[in-house]
Amino acid sequence: MVQVVFEKVSKAYGDTVAIPGLDLTIESGEFVSLLGPSGCGKSTTLRMLAGLEQPSSGSIRIGDRDVVNLAPAARDIAMVFQSYALYPHMTVAENICYPLKKRGVAKADRAIKLAEVAALLQLEPLLARKPGQLSGGQQQRVALGRALVREPSVFLLDEPLSNLDASLRAHMRAELIELHRRLGKTMVYVTHDQLEAMTMSSRIAVMRAGELQQFAPPDEIYNRPANVFVAGFIGTPAMALAEGSLADGGGHLVVHVGPLAVALPYAAAARPAAVTVGIRPEDVLVGEGPWQAQVRLVEPTGYETIVALDAGGLALTARVPGSNALRVGETVAFDLRRERIHLFDKSDGRRWEPAGR
Amino acid sequence: MPDIALQRSGLSRERRDALLGLLLIAPTVLVLGAVIVYPLLSAIALSFQSVYTPTLEGHWVGLANYRELLGSGGFWAALLTTAIWTVGTLTLQVLIGVAMALLLHQNIIFRSLARSLVLFPYFLSTVVAVLVWRWLFNDLYGIVNHALMAAGIIDAPVNWLGAMPNAMLSIMVVGAWKFFPFVVIAVLARLQTIPEALYEAARIDGAGPISRFFDVTLPQLRDVLTIVILLRTVWDFKEFDLIYLMTGGGPVNGTRTLPLIVYQQAFGLNQMGMAAAYAVSMMLVMLVFMLAYLQRARKAAA
Amino acid sequence: MKKRPAWIVSLITWPIVLVIAFPLLWMLITSVKPAAELFSTSPTLLPKAITFEHYARVLQDTPFLQYFANSMILATSTTVVVISISVLGAYSLVRFAYPGRETLASLVLFTYLLPSVVLISPLYLMLVSIGLANTLASLVIAYTTFALPYALWLLRSFMAGIPQDLESAAMVDGASRMGAFVDVVLPQALPGIISTALFTFILAWNEYLYALVLVNSDEARPLTTGVMTMLISAFNIEWSLLMAASVLMSVPLIIIFAFFQRHLTSGFGAGGVKG
Repeated sequence: MVQVVFEKVSKAYGDTVAIPGLDLTIESGEFVSLLGPSGCGKSTTLRMLAGLEQPSSGSIRIGDRDVVNLAPAARDIAMVFQSYALYPHMTVAENICYPLKKRGVAKADRAIKLAEVAALLQLEPLLARKPGQLSGGQQQRVALGRALVREPSVFLLDEPLSNLDASLRAHMRAELIELHRRLGKTMVYVTHDQLEAMTMSSRIAVMRAGELQQFAPPDEIYNRPANVFVAGFIGTPAMALAEGSLADGGGHLVVHVGPLAVALPYAAAARPAAVTVGIRPEDVLVGEGPWQAQVRLVEPTGYETIVALDAGGLALTARVPGSNALRVGETVAFDLRRERIHLFDKSDGRRWEPAGR
Repeated sequence: MPDIALQRSGLSRERRDALLGLLLIAPTVLVLGAVIVYPLLSAIALSFQSVYTPTLEGHWVGLANYRELLGSGGFWAALLTTAIWTVGTLTLQVLIGVAMALLLHQNIIFRSLARSLVLFPYFLSTVVAVLVWRWLFNDLYGIVNHALMAAGIIDAPVNWLGAMPNAMLSIMVVGAWKFFPFVVIAVLARLQTIPEALYEAARIDGAGPISRFFDVTLPQLRDVLTIVILLRTVWDFKEFDLIYLMTGGGPVNGTRTLPLIVYQQAFGLNQMGMAAAYAVSMMLVMLVFMLAYLQRARKAAA
Repeated sequence: MKKRPAWIVSLITWPIVLVIAFPLLWMLITSVKPAAELFSTSPTLLPKAITFEHYARVLQDTPFLQYFANSMILATSTTVVVISISVLGAYSLVRFAYPGRETLASLVLFTYLLPSVVLISPLYLMLVSIGLANTLASLVIAYTTFALPYALWLLRSFMAGIPQDLESAAMVDGASRMGAFVDVVLPQALPGIISTALFTFILAWNEYLYALVLVNSDEARPLTTGVMTMLISAFNIEWSLLMAASVLMSVPLIIIFAFFQRHLTSGFGAGGVKG
């Protein structure tokens, strides 16, 4: 059981700094997702962990060893690539056995391990085929098999599901979750898909432009995003964000956003001058309430309807259960779940919580 | 394996990697250094000497070779001849090459056989090509003369290789025949990557076949043609085998290109130093051309 | 692509193809025509009689077989040497980072375009001074001057097309850098290596100038210069023998072309034309 620690890890390409300084500690047995938009440095981070790229400075520890100067082969890791990277000229069986061969495992033992992995991932009928003859989902399982066969300390997965179609992706997500539960190994998973991160991880590391934005369990990321970026990035449909200010409304906090003045059940003590206000769609209650808004767009999804509202210039999104009769141009009343309104200090984008929350 | 040894050496991974890379390219560098760089420098050094080929004895003469070269009519005449030959055969190569590529791109019957037949001349030995064409051009027994006479185009056999401008035209034709497949292969490969959707869009916009060629095909071929023309120009310019074997430079130096002069100087007149001077001058001309061409191409692409 | 054959285009194209192929067909026809037919003043298109006497004479009465053997040894040796060196060199240029790499790549390109005539004098001097004049070894050395840059350029393109992920996976799986090269890159590059080897073989087989300058004894003479010297003298050109010799000389090329055409032309797409 091994811990993975990034300490002051930086990466620069010539004059461009991709990652200024990363500090991240992944506990043994965790499933951690590195999540962020493309170019945020998540893949680079993973590759540095794998040894496929060298950090410009800092140390990376797997267990108690600093691995920065070790070749990938010496790090006791396994990796599943986005492209699967299966060896095209080898059969499935040879692909899976390759890591064992490289470690000098005897032929008989190789066969045993191959059988175990093949049974686990239902690869038995495919063993004699070449990667070119497999479907995307099958290739993915072979790549997984090749990673599993060596029983390494840490598993690295670089967007392994992004090349699969939606239904297969859902299925594989479930399989990966089950695999992690069964093996209990430390897994580091790179993805740009928040659904994957949210459903699979014990903790999510949200990254942007090479910097760590927040490293926390999924529900904390969702319910208490650390800054404006995380708040807007996580959650579909996205959280509505708008400029606002805080005021003292006779002892309790009042937040002014757009034309609304929303009283919050918190003390009005020390507060930032300007804030960014965030409201998730499920916290906008359409039907009854003190405010009015015009319906701009109606998107029925079957289970619910996503409604875009315009409250006097303030753009909000709401989720309304069921398919209802709202029409574009209609005016509706709405309310907000006061205690679920997110506030971010406008000066640095960081989350601000009033005393008592 | 060398990389494992490097691993134990204690150097950082980046350094180790770089060293391995250098190790892998070392044989190449050594060989190229020995058989190209060193001889090239020697050639330049040679050009400042006068060396008698059979005995290989020589002495320094400074710029005398170059002065003689530039002053003699021979160099300039050969330069002109080389230019004429290059432009002539290149034009034929490109025109025929592009045309054949366009035709072979279509779904003609027995297409692979047609392709094979068209491409084969390029892979043939120049010796064989020359022998065949000299036989074809033979004034007494060659089929070219016979066919033309039978068709009534000429009355008497033509001396294809022994008179000017016939000799120049003949080598241009043979050069075109031998080398145009290079153009075909390159252009055909490029044609096959042009998305069908572009032509469909053009057709919907009302473009006929001719304007489809000029508006869709040709712009797509631009990069390939730029490179192909550069390469073929350089290679045609320095072509020795074909001209030497077809006409030997004759009649009366009518087809004596710069490469031929170099050879004649070195092994005919036994003047290796002078030959080197001609060779270096030839290289300079090519270098100037290449730089000018690349600059123009870069500007055009920008 | 259209499924229906393009009949009209075929009607235009095939005559042109036949015109282009005619010289070679004529060579074949000439090589089996009896001498009498050959030297009549009204030559026939198709031979009235077929004879293999010219072939027999070439094979039995001339050093042709010696030259053929020389060419074989020469082309094969050159190919082996060039491929060994260039496979490693191309890999280095494509997958490693070290100071001077780009300069090296440009230099390789430059040598690609160098005229052989520039090098013949100094190479001749060099080979004489190390005592290798007039040997097949001298030709192998000389042929690498143009074959190596070409092979490097081709292989570089082929190798650049191999996804880097494969080597990364191999290294994570436990292979060393060179282990990944042998296990993954070489098998993937095999079509490219075959193409390059065939190209090199053909280049070496067809080379004339260096053979002309560096070798003038029959023991070491390859076919290109051999055929020209043995059958062409000041007084007589033995056309019938020459045509037969030409056909025989081209046999390896025909075989390679017939079976490996795809390999040969893919080389152009990948690297022969890229700048």
